[in-house]
Amino acid sequence: MTTLIEVSGLRKQYTSSFGKAKITALDGIDFQVGEGELFGLLGPNGAGKTTTVKILLGLTHATSGTASVCGLPVNDPESRRRVGYLPEGHKIPNYLTARQALSIFGRMSGMESAQIEKRIPVVLENVRMGQWIDVRIKKFSKGMTQRLGLACALIHSPHVLLLDEPTDGVDPVGRREIRDLLRDEAKVNGTTVLLNSHLLSEIELTCDRVAVLRNGKVAAFGSVEELTRQTASYKMVATPMDESLVASFRETGAGVERVNGHMVLSVTDVEHLNALVDRLRARGGVLCELTPVRSTLEDVFVDLVRADEHTSVGAH
Amino acid sequence: MKVLVANIEDVMREAAARWTLIAYFFLSTIFIIIFASAINLDIVDGALAGAKLFGKEVNMDSSQISVEKLVLGFETGFSVFLYFLCTFLAIFATAHLVPRMQEKGTIDLYLARPVGRVRLLLSRYVAGLILAGSNVVYLMGSIWLIVVWKTGVANPRFLLGGMIIFLIIAVLLAFAFLIGVFTSSTAVSIMTTYGIFFFGLMLAAHDRIAAAVSKQWQAWLIETLYWVFPKTAELGQAVVAFVGGNELPERVLSALTPAPFLTTAAFGVGCLMLASWLFTRKEF
Repeated sequence: MTTLIEVSGLRKQYTSSFGKAKITALDGIDFQVGEGELFGLLGPNGAGKTTTVKILLGLTHATSGTASVCGLPVNDPESRRRVGYLPEGHKIPNYLTARQALSIFGRMSGMESAQIEKRIPVVLENVRMGQWIDVRIKKFSKGMTQRLGLACALIHSPHVLLLDEPTDGVDPVGRREIRDLLRDEAKVNGTTVLLNSHLLSEIELTCDRVAVLRNGKVAAFGSVEELTRQTASYKMVATPMDESLVASFRETGAGVERVNGHMVLSVTDVEHLNALVDRLRARGGVLCELTPVRSTLEDVFVDLVRADEHTSVGAH
Repeated sequence: MKVLVANIEDVMREAAARWTLIAYFFLSTIFIIIFASAINLDIVDGALAGAKLFGKEVNMDSSQISVEKLVLGFETGFSVFLYFLCTFLAIFATAHLVPRMQEKGTIDLYLARPVGRVRLLLSRYVAGLILAGSNVVYLMGSIWLIVVWKTGVANPRFLLGGMIIFLIIAVLLAFAFLIGVFTSSTAVSIMTTYGIFFFGLMLAAHDRIAAAVSKQWQAWLIETLYWVFPKTAELGQAVVAFVGGNELPERVLSALTPAPFLTTAAFGVGCLMLASWLFTRKEF
């Protein structure tokens, strides 16, 4: 798989107005995103997500380290030839119509007029804005403006999409449509999508891999499955599931919680789990279901952030 | 070229949507209409026999004045007025171009395109110049046509005088862009640009000011400022001299030397270069 976004040892320090205080926004982060991949960038406020995206677009300059998009260093404007960007809280000039805005941004991306004219209805239809083509943006709702922003990012058929809170202000149906659109872009056109969002469920539902940033560093990295698999809880459905069985399990040191006709077992490791199954069978019980309980991405995220808070408190 | 076309379209659409374009041309049109209806000339055998201004008879002392001479005198005097009017309107209509582009949420959309920052800034500058230049052409062209219609006398130098006005607009717009990049404020851009225009007028008396100050370094500073800043007074005189041609006294014609043009243009180029450098380094 071709790497389309590559970040290596990226550091960014902001200097205060008087040049004395330095704030580290990014502290040597590394990651790569391949062609056709849906990649999520997570982190609490001030973790460095937006700074990373801004460096990738050349809006901000890195203090050290390297970043490249489509194989070109980010300080080369050509690296943005095939990049579509939707900034958070974007302000597409509201005196324009959807058609005019797409025409201006298409031209700025190097498209020919004829090409733009053909592409505008297609891309507006993709974001369900076809009927608003000649309406001024100032008449649009927030969700519609967001959809138009996405259309502006897609107008030149980019290879890389950088999206900052793309579903902000969009209703649930619209969110699903945007998710589907992004998946299609990745699957059908091989577009690489880097999604920066606070909506963890959104990232969980959309992305293949995520990086969790914390204090300017990558705190966790991997596929959504890998990150949410790290658990020692299992759901068990067995018969009979009486109090004596629960007591027997608790004797081993396992945590047992009865939830809606099944048990959630907290064990130390797989051997511990097997010992509980042995106990069930020794009592003549029947195992009907045993599945690992996955944590949500939100659980992982909150754990990571809390771990950091505890470390900070400990340090103090 | 595509970037330039996109920027021109953007600037023109913005000017139209925000009423700037309409106000810009409306004010110019009002002025043209007043001018056209105010003057009534009675020409007999190529000489002015009588004239009415706003319906009132102008005392001619029973003498006949050559129409060519009258037109030349009129256009020469009028060009000074147009020099100020065109410049002021142009700054009002274009000083917002950079601050508004640099607004959060807007600049990201422009810079995320495969366009170098210098190219983006210069495209916007050219778009601003086209907007301001079109007004100069409209205003001066209309006045010229009215004069031709009412008198039958065509003085092409009047139209060419518009080029000097355009030069000062280009220089002041470069300065407005520099301030716009630095402060991201339309108000500050307008105020400082007008400030520099008037400062340039004051510095025309640099000899007398330098002679009046008590210390040598102060005199040196005044002279340096004079050579650095745009020579707005000298360029105004140059417009008069250019339009009037040889009919004007030597004192006025002496303004038509290359030095004020070259140093003023150098100031503009310097401002644009500095603005480009700052814009390239700026973090958004």
